[in-house]
Amino acid sequence: RQVQWHPQSPQCLYTAGVQRFSSASAQEQPVASSPSEDKVHLSESCVKRLKEIMTAGEYLRIHVEGGGCSGFQYKFSVDSNRSEDDRLFEREGVGVIVDEESLEFVKGATLDYSQELIRSTFQVLKNPQADHGCSCGSSFSVKL
Amino acid sequence: VGKRKILATRAALTLTPAAVNKIRTLLHNKPEYIGMKVGVRTRGCNGLTYTLDYAKEKEKADEEVLQDGVRVFIEKKAQLTLLGTEMDFVESKLSSEFVFNNPNIKGTCGCGESFNI
Repeated sequence: RQVQWHPQSPQCLYTAGVQRFSSASAQEQPVASSPSEDKVHLSESCVKRLKEIMTAGEYLRIHVEGGGCSGFQYKFSVDSNRSEDDRLFEREGVGVIVDEESLEFVKGATLDYSQELIRSTFQVLKNPQADHGCSCGSSFSVKL
Repeated sequence: VGKRKILATRAALTLTPAAVNKIRTLLHNKPEYIGMKVGVRTRGCNGLTYTLDYAKEKEKADEEVLQDGVRVFIEKKAQLTLLGTEMDFVESKLSSEFVFNNPNIKGTCGCGESFNI
């Protein structure tokens, strides 16, 4: 399979790298493209917190963008508009939406709400796409 | 005996009202703790990160800051790095955290958790 190369856009370059990675694993497992593989899992604490803060029709949006000390970072926001390319992950009545492009970077990961004395925040854990991250977990680099 | 000179002293750490309130809530119904303890640890991509814990007692080398009825102890190792810092508590729907506005730092990490001096 040819890897697409778009020198004019660095974002496309990264996406191409990830596609190459996923196509390699698809060779070992022909069913790798089953829908359960590109899910974002929600942890208990995440669901509990979302129930507290979200009103009806509101979703937590995970957005991946370039930045942070490791190359990519997760952004969280509250959004009530679902667009066509958004995937919705629901559990016990609360929902998380991820757009197609961002999903490439977070599929298979778990969204958690971690509570510590110094800070309480949403975190993406066990991301199979992430190589190593920043200590705070908001930034990560991609396995190629 | 000469005149006693009055020296201006500033608290090593100042707390914003939001931070005072949060610490008060944290310590509520926990009589075994006398305050909070702030420290620094080597971690993160920029060298150091802040730590926060409950304090059972004042250790010898700790610097004590008493403000609006809440006590914060600063670990010996962190005293120099934290001098003049303002401790704030920022809360939003998606996260809530203590933020340290430190005038001594030269650089931080993107998320603000890690810093260098």
